[in-house]
Amino acid sequence: MRALDLKLMRDLWRMRGQALAIAVVLAAASATFILSMGVHRSLYETREAYYSENNFGDVFANMTRAPRSVLDQVSAIEGVQQAQGSIVQYAILDFPNRIEAVRALLQSVDERGRDRINLVSLKTGRMPAPGQPEEVVADEAFALANNVVLGHEFDAIIYGRMQRLKVVGIGLAPNYVNALAPGDIIPDDTRFGVFWMGEEALEAATDRTEAINTLSVKLQRDASQADVIRAIDRILEPYGGTGAFDRDDHPSHVFLDSELDQLEAMVKIFPPVFLLVATFLVYVVLGRMIRTQRSLIGLFKAFGYSDAAIAGHYLKFAIAIAILATILGAIAGVWMARELTELYARYYHFPILRFSFEPSVFFGASALAVASAAVGAVSGVWSAARLTPAVAMSPPPPPVYRAGMVERIGQNAGFSAIGHMIVRHIARWPARSSMTIGGVALSIGLLFSTLQFIDSSEFMLESYFFRSQQQDISVTFTEARNEDVLFELRQMPGVLRVEPVRGLSVEMNHGNRLERTALEAIPPSAKLTARIDQDGNVISMPPGGLMLSRQLADQLKVDPGDSVYVKMLGGRRTEAMLPVGATVDEFIGARAYATNETIEKLARDGAPVGAALLLIDPAERDNILTVLKTMPAVLSIGDRDLEMSRFEEMIDDNINTMLTFYIAFASAIAVGVVYNSARILFSERAHELATLRVLGYHRLEVAVVLIGEIALLVVISVPVGLMIGFWLAQLMLRMFGSDLFRLPFAPANATYGEAAIVVLIAALLTAVIVARRVMRLDMVRVLKARD
Amino acid sequence: MQLERNAFSGHDLRKIYVTGETEVHALRGVDFDIKKGESLVLLGPSGSGKSTLLNIVGGLDRPTSGTLHYDEIELTALDDRDLTRFRRANIGFIFQFYNLIPSLTAEENVRLVTDIASNPMDPGEALALVGLADRKHHYPAQLSGGEQQRVAVARAIAKQPSVLLCDEPTGALDSRTGVRVLETLEQANRELGTTLLIITHNAGIAAMADRVFHFLDGRIARIETNTHRISPSEISW
Repeated sequence: MRALDLKLMRDLWRMRGQALAIAVVLAAASATFILSMGVHRSLYETREAYYSENNFGDVFANMTRAPRSVLDQVSAIEGVQQAQGSIVQYAILDFPNRIEAVRALLQSVDERGRDRINLVSLKTGRMPAPGQPEEVVADEAFALANNVVLGHEFDAIIYGRMQRLKVVGIGLAPNYVNALAPGDIIPDDTRFGVFWMGEEALEAATDRTEAINTLSVKLQRDASQADVIRAIDRILEPYGGTGAFDRDDHPSHVFLDSELDQLEAMVKIFPPVFLLVATFLVYVVLGRMIRTQRSLIGLFKAFGYSDAAIAGHYLKFAIAIAILATILGAIAGVWMARELTELYARYYHFPILRFSFEPSVFFGASALAVASAAVGAVSGVWSAARLTPAVAMSPPPPPVYRAGMVERIGQNAGFSAIGHMIVRHIARWPARSSMTIGGVALSIGLLFSTLQFIDSSEFMLESYFFRSQQQDISVTFTEARNEDVLFELRQMPGVLRVEPVRGLSVEMNHGNRLERTALEAIPPSAKLTARIDQDGNVISMPPGGLMLSRQLADQLKVDPGDSVYVKMLGGRRTEAMLPVGATVDEFIGARAYATNETIEKLARDGAPVGAALLLIDPAERDNILTVLKTMPAVLSIGDRDLEMSRFEEMIDDNINTMLTFYIAFASAIAVGVVYNSARILFSERAHELATLRVLGYHRLEVAVVLIGEIALLVVISVPVGLMIGFWLAQLMLRMFGSDLFRLPFAPANATYGEAAIVVLIAALLTAVIVARRVMRLDMVRVLKARD
Repeated sequence: MQLERNAFSGHDLRKIYVTGETEVHALRGVDFDIKKGESLVLLGPSGSGKSTLLNIVGGLDRPTSGTLHYDEIELTALDDRDLTRFRRANIGFIFQFYNLIPSLTAEENVRLVTDIASNPMDPGEALALVGLADRKHHYPAQLSGGEQQRVAVARAIAKQPSVLLCDEPTGALDSRTGVRVLETLEQANRELGTTLLIITHNAGIAAMADRVFHFLDGRIARIETNTHRISPSEISW
């Protein structure tokens, strides 16, 4: 090994604490990069492969009922490659020992295997055979959640008739990667599942011989999606078509997209923060190392080593740290990516979802780590290369101190001599002091912006379940009903109040923006739902106009006072220009509201009752659920308490796993920054600290010089960090929100404190570890060595 | 009475430094008494044990064996905390390379000591004593070597210590400045009764002391008593 490289190894070993502290921060960058980029790629590629293997459709449409022959018309549209029609039908499953209702979505499949779009992947068993109307394929996730195995038989109420079903296969399909029961906001595999049933059997069961109610289309490569959608809408209009849509509006696809967007947002936020801090650290540590090795550099140059050799030597120091970081980061990143992928596999139904370690992601992470270390090293390496031997071997000029502005204030405030030492040292090295403040502040900011996700979710939960939705049970009907069903519900013992939910499917248009949404009618007497503003006050309905959820208003780019063009999908298909009277901060879904009168004016009729909200006597709960479960008109039952606990469970699962990582990462930044600052401070001031000891200062009094400076910088970084966090949190919430939900910025006061305290503790513990060196300071040896 | 007149008394002091596998015997059994108010010069070649003795006497270091008393206190029995207290109360140090804190002005450097002393002078007064009253707001980097050493002297005498320990105080100074520093030290010894120990390579300085310890190989080879002390102004080098 060459002598210089030997020195490099020894320097690295001697400075192992500092090198490791930098490596950990850089490793956090690599790990978060591998985590988010790697999982993004795994998820994306798994999805693409699945879509292409199972031929996921490009355009979809639902309708009340259309003859199968419309498929010929649709196939004839220019740009359509294939069209496939099928029947979907909700059903109630009879699982005798379950109180809560178990619902199924029955999806027809061709018994003769002629399907070409949205193909089912069988995990085990086979597809339903012709002439065997009881045979079904169960969704894998549902089967796992409910212990359903091949040969399992159960009764189902389909279209009002009881029918025996038998599971002959277990599988999954690309149009149900994420399957939500109607009215639900999060998936629940124990209560809802998809079943594939023979086409002839489902036609017979639903009186739809040679008819379909949904279709999927594959497009040719160069087709115009918008033209095809318009053409399909025209064809389906007479059959109660509710408007064709592309993948971007496909519920299963949208869910996945929002997840992918979140991963992409993570790549944009976390790795850059860590890389920035690591660059600072390399700059500071290498700069100090080169200053202390000044005379050594002169000696090497006097021996005949070239400037380039010296520059290379110090650059290698930075690169070596980056390589260590890459290894640590890859180990941590892959481990976390596996955990996250496993979590996704629980919510998304793929034939196989595994984290695949992509070399390109690893190389990307390594390149970033090496580049950020190299950038941090540039200034130090440049100064080492430029030193001439003669200059290098003479001692550096002593630092010049001046009393700054803070000082003059301090003078009057009666600073002690130690106080002056601390304040002047900070002012003497403004760049380094700012970087310490910046680094610790970033760590506080990062921690705050991750911790507040809990507050945000809780606020969302609170706002949704405790303020806007005050019913105990919500009942979604199989099809739009008249008022009779409400009467029937009111008669049930234990039901205290019933409120109808009336809604229309509409398309809203403003400028060049178009959104499909539900327009809900709000009667003046509504007590179980409320639209509330951010402060929790109820917003009253604007007469004659619309109230839009903020999400929808943002998507349409409208403000109160603007008007939107509203078109009914289905029904009479009436259209009207309606003013937007107000917006409401709702976090889940994008919806619109209007008074009964406004809706009646638009629809020329009262809106049909699609669902009902119930307030019940808790004592009668089980009885009510048992009765509801057997009502054919009831499609699904939303149990507020259950939904809430599912929601909380999902938050726990999702957020807490990630949060543990990020608390560790944020602390890593604080530890890395403080450890390095304190070590440099100690090495710079060892001589002065020894002098103070000689003058009769006790060890703890001397440690104050070290800890005091760090503490002062850390304390200054708290407000800076919280400001960064305040801003970063809102950025992250914006990036993590999707069309499906919006995350409110509602940090609890305690979160500010928690973020600051975690970092303060990490920082001060680190400073104390370094300050222990003060305790071991050998006065005689330090004073003998000329600084 | 005998004890009261002795500031320090050392008995069979030995100091062995172990570095790796080699042992360096810095002191090989040193016995001495130093009287209160006495002025003493420690002479000898490099590595003969002068600085080691000075550090042990000043409570910066401990002997490997032997006993050392200051007044009635057995310094060799004190823990680190009490040794620090002892230094704080009794000892003023002056080094060859001044050891001023670069981030503090002359006055603040003196205040470092007066802040923690029990009966200190005013920092301004201490600086006036060394002739630097008008430079008290200057930082070390703005002062010449001689001025810096005088600040170090002011810092040492400001707490009115009973003992002044000086390790090559004039080693980095020219003759004229050196004399000036020595005069201040001599003045403290004469007017305040401060016990004065000076390490030097400069044999000329020895003439201003009451006694001279000649060091050789970790031992006091010879003790010389000056019947007539000369004033620093008569010294030159």
